[in-house]
Amino acid sequence: MSDSATHHEDGHKSLIIDNKKLLMWLFLGSDCMFFGTLISTHLIYRKLNPEEFDPTSMFSLELTSFSTFILLMSSFLMALAVSAMHKGQIKSFRRNTVGVIFFGLIFLACQVYEFTEFAHLGLTLESGTFGSTFYLMTGTHGVHVAIGVFWLICMLFYSYTGKMDAHESAVDVEVAGLYWHFVDIVWIIIFTVVYLIEFIGKV
Amino acid sequence: MSEADYNPLPVSPEADHSAENERYHVFVNLALALAAITGVELVLVYLPINTVFIFTVLVSLSLFKFAAVIAWFMHLIYDKLLLTLAFGTGLAIAAGTYTALLFIMSNEYVAPPEIPGM
Amino acid sequence: MSTVTETPAPSTHTEDKHVLKPERSNLGLMRPDHNKSVLIDWLTTVDHKKIGIMYGAIALFFLLVGGVEALIIRTQLAFPENDLISAQRYNQLFTMHGTTMIFLAIMPLNAAFFNFLVPLQIGARDVAFPRINSFSLWAFVAGALVINFGWVLQAVEVMGLFSASGPTAGMNDFVPSMGWFGYAPITGIEFTGAGTDFWIMGLQILGVASLSAAMNFVVTIINMRAPGMKMMRLPVFTWMTLVVSLLIVFAFPAITIALAQLMFDRTFGTSFFVTAGGGQPILWQHLFWIFGHPEVYILVLPAMGIVSEVLPTFSKKPLFGYAIVVFSGAVIGFLGFAVWSHHMFTTGLGKVATAAFSLLTMAIAVPTGVKIFNWVGTLWGGRVRFAPPMIFALGFVWMFMMGGFSGIMHASAPADAQQQDSYFVIAHFHYVAIGGIFLAVVSGIYFWLPKIVGKMWKGKLSIWVAIFSTVGLNITFFPMHFLGLLGMPRRTHTYLEGFGWETYNLVCTIGSYILAFGIFLLVVDIIRCVRSGEPAGNDPWDARTLEWETTSPPQVYNFGRTPVIAARDALWEHKHGPENRRITYEEDDGHGIHMPSQSWMPMIASLGFVPLGLGLSLMQAGIPYMGYVAIFGLFMIALGVALWAIEGPGGYHLHPEEEK
Repeated sequence: MSDSATHHEDGHKSLIIDNKKLLMWLFLGSDCMFFGTLISTHLIYRKLNPEEFDPTSMFSLELTSFSTFILLMSSFLMALAVSAMHKGQIKSFRRNTVGVIFFGLIFLACQVYEFTEFAHLGLTLESGTFGSTFYLMTGTHGVHVAIGVFWLICMLFYSYTGKMDAHESAVDVEVAGLYWHFVDIVWIIIFTVVYLIEFIGKV
Repeated sequence: MSEADYNPLPVSPEADHSAENERYHVFVNLALALAAITGVELVLVYLPINTVFIFTVLVSLSLFKFAAVIAWFMHLIYDKLLLTLAFGTGLAIAAGTYTALLFIMSNEYVAPPEIPGM
Repeated sequence: MSTVTETPAPSTHTEDKHVLKPERSNLGLMRPDHNKSVLIDWLTTVDHKKIGIMYGAIALFFLLVGGVEALIIRTQLAFPENDLISAQRYNQLFTMHGTTMIFLAIMPLNAAFFNFLVPLQIGARDVAFPRINSFSLWAFVAGALVINFGWVLQAVEVMGLFSASGPTAGMNDFVPSMGWFGYAPITGIEFTGAGTDFWIMGLQILGVASLSAAMNFVVTIINMRAPGMKMMRLPVFTWMTLVVSLLIVFAFPAITIALAQLMFDRTFGTSFFVTAGGGQPILWQHLFWIFGHPEVYILVLPAMGIVSEVLPTFSKKPLFGYAIVVFSGAVIGFLGFAVWSHHMFTTGLGKVATAAFSLLTMAIAVPTGVKIFNWVGTLWGGRVRFAPPMIFALGFVWMFMMGGFSGIMHASAPADAQQQDSYFVIAHFHYVAIGGIFLAVVSGIYFWLPKIVGKMWKGKLSIWVAIFSTVGLNITFFPMHFLGLLGMPRRTHTYLEGFGWETYNLVCTIGSYILAFGIFLLVVDIIRCVRSGEPAGNDPWDARTLEWETTSPPQVYNFGRTPVIAARDALWEHKHGPENRRITYEEDDGHGIHMPSQSWMPMIASLGFVPLGLGLSLMQAGIPYMGYVAIFGLFMIALGVALWAIEGPGGYHLHPEEEK
C-alpha cells in the first residue's frame, strides 16, 4: 500500500471489507424491505380488487420487454465498468459508464412515455387502488434509476478531474455499481409479477 | 484460461488482473443468458398451455435472473460471506414478512364478509 | 494542547509542526476545523462524543416536553367530567406525548449512548462515517422541528390569526391528533387537518435520521473494532447496539413506505387506505406494526445492554452467561419481526394467523426470561455495591419484569380481546417504557455521565431520584391495571361518575406528579454534577470495559495509541487479570492520529428537510407558495449532498504522544 493510504487509514479494519461497500450492502438489504412493501401492496390490492382494472387492456408487453432488456444490458455494462476500474483502465470505464447512463436514460424515457400513455387512457393516481400502487411502485423504482443516472454522471465528470485514486475510486465505482445492479434486479421482479403474470392465459 | 479451471475465490484489487479478465467472459455469458431468458419469458406468456405451469416457470426464471445478477454482476459469490449475510437478512425478512402478509390479507378476512342467510 | 501536523494533501505528508489551522476543501472553501467559535465548532462537529452529547441534551429536553404533556393528560383525568382541556386538545396531547416520548426522547437517548460509547467501547477513533453521523443528528433535529411545528401554528390559530383553507379547509387541528400509530382511516384528508401532515413528514424525516445512523453503527461495530476485539469480546451494550441498528435498518422501510402511501392519499388523491377507492384501512395497521413491533425492541434492547454493563460492574463479577445474553438479545430482535399481528388480534386475522402470532409472541418471553435469569445470576454471589447506577439497574430488572408479565398476558389472543384498547395496555407498556427503559437510561446516565463530563456526582440526591421515580411510577401505573379490567378505554377524554374509576384515576394522577418530581430531581442532580462535580478520574466505578481506560472526558482522539485487546471485559482483566490478558498498545507509527475534518455540508443537507417537510404540510393547510418552499428544501438537500461529496473528507493529524 502507498504511504498515503497507510497514514490516512481511518481506524482499524478487523475484517477486510471496505466500509462503503458494507454500508451499501446494508442499504440494499434495507431497500429489499422498501420494495417488498411496495410490491406486496400492489399484489394485495390486485388480489382483493381483481375486477377493478384490467391491466392487459393498457400494458404493452413489447415496450416493457424492451425496457427490461435495456436495463439488463445496462447492468452488464456497469459490471464491465466496475471491472475496468479495478484494472485501472479509465478509458474503458468511461466508455462503459457512458453506455450505462445512455441505457438508463432510455429506460427513464420509456417509463415517462408509459406513464403519460396510461394517464391518457385513464389510469391515474386517483382512479383506484391499481393506479395508486402501480404508480407509486414503478415511480419509486424510476426515482431510483434517476438517482443512479445522476450518480454515474457525477462519477463520469469526476473521472476527468484527474483526482481518481486507483484503489479508493475503484471501490466508489463498485458501490455505485452495486446500487445500479440492485435497481436492475428490482425491475426483474416487477417485470414478472406486475407485467408478465397479468398476461398469462389472456393473449 | 478456459471456463473449466475458473477459480471463484475473492481477489484483492491489487492482485493481477487475470481474475478480472476471466470475469469478463462470465459477464458476457450472463448477459446473453439474461437476454435469452427475457425472450423466453415473453414467448412463454403467449403459449396456450397450462397457466399454472407458465406461472411457475415465469416465477422461477425471474428468481434465477435475480440470483444470477446478485451473484455475478454484484460479485457476491467472490466477496466476503458477511456481505451475503447483510443483504440476505434483509431479503429473508422482507420475503418472509410479505409472504405472510399476502396470506393474512386474503379475501376471507379482509373484504366485507358475506353474511349467511341474507 | 497537543501539537498538530497539517497535511495539505494526503500524498504530501510533512512533519512540519504548525499551529491548528484549517485548510481549504476541494470546493476552495475553508473547512471549519479548529474554529475559535464554540457555536461553529459544535454545529459542524463530526466528533461522535459531541454528537452524542447533543443527542442526549435534545432528547432530555423532549423527555421533559413529553412529561409535561403527560401531566396535563393526567390532570384532565383526575376527576370525572373534568373540563380542563377540550377533547380535541386532549387528542393532540396524547398523540404528541406518545410520538415525542418514542421518537424524540427514548430513541435519541439511546442514540446518545450509542454515539458516545460504542466507538470508545470497541477502541475506535470514531464511527465509520463521521459526516453521516453529523447528518443523522441534524436530520433528527429537523424531524423534531417539523413534527412540533404544529404547536406554533395552533397557537396562532387560537389567537384567531389563522385558519386552514385549501385541502383541509375548516379543520383547524394543526397538532397531530390521531394517536401515535395513526390508524387509517382517521388519518384521511376528510377527518384530520394539517396536524397529520406534520406528523407524516416529521416521522419520515426521523426515519431518514434513524436509518442513516443505524447503518453507520453496523459498519462501525463490524469494521472499526480495535485489534483483538473479537465479536465475542464486545461489551454487551455494543452487541445490543448492533442488534438494534440491524432492526432499524430492516424495520424502518415498512413505515417509510406506509407514510409515503398515506401522504399520497392525503396529497394526491390515491386510495391506499381509502375505502371509497377500494383501499383497505387494515393494511395500514399491518404495515405500521411490521415496523412498530421491531420498534418496541429498538427501544428496549439498548436498555438491556445498559443494565448488562451496570450489573457486572457493581457486582464485581463477569456477566453470567455472556454468550447466552448476547444470543438471546439477537433472538428477541429477530423474533420481533414475526409477531407484529399480536397488536391486531381483535381485527379478525383468522384462526391460523392468530394462533401463529400468539405462539410466536409467547416464544419471545423465553429469551427475555433467560436474560432476567442471567442478570439475577450475575448478582448471585457477587459483591454488590449499591451505587446510584446499580440502584436504577436493580429497579429496571424488577419493574421491567412487571411489564413483561402483563405482556405475556396480551400474547394470549382471548385475554388480549378483553384487554385491547383498555388502560390495562397503558399499564403494560408504561411499565416497560418507564419501569424498564427509563430506569435503565437513568442508570446509564448515572453510570456514564462522569465519563462524559469528567465530573463525579455530588451527595445522595440519586437515592431520592430513585425513590420518587420508582414509587411514583408504581402509584401511577399499577392502578391502571385495575382501571383497564374495570373497562376504562384508553384515549378517553373524560368519564362519568359511577363506574368505579374515580379513586383509581385520582391515585394515578397523584402518582404522576410524584414521578414528575423524581424526574425534576434527576435534572437538578445532572445540573449539579455538570456544574460543580469533583473531577471523576478515568475509572470512578472500578468498571470493566474499554471506555473507562481513557481520560474523563475522553480526548478528541479517544485513545492516544490503539489498544490491543486480549480478553472480554478488557479493562477488568487489565486491572486484575493475569499478565497475558492485559491491554497492550500499538506502536506509535510516527504518522500521528488521523482526524476527519469538520463540515457544514451534512447540516445543510439535513436541514433542507425542514423546508421540505414544512412546505408539504403547510400546503395542505392552504398557505400559498408552500410547494415552492418544499422544492427549495429538496434542492437544499441535493446541493448539500453534492457539495459534501465534492469537498472530500480532508483530515489532519494529531500527535498526542509528543507532549509527554
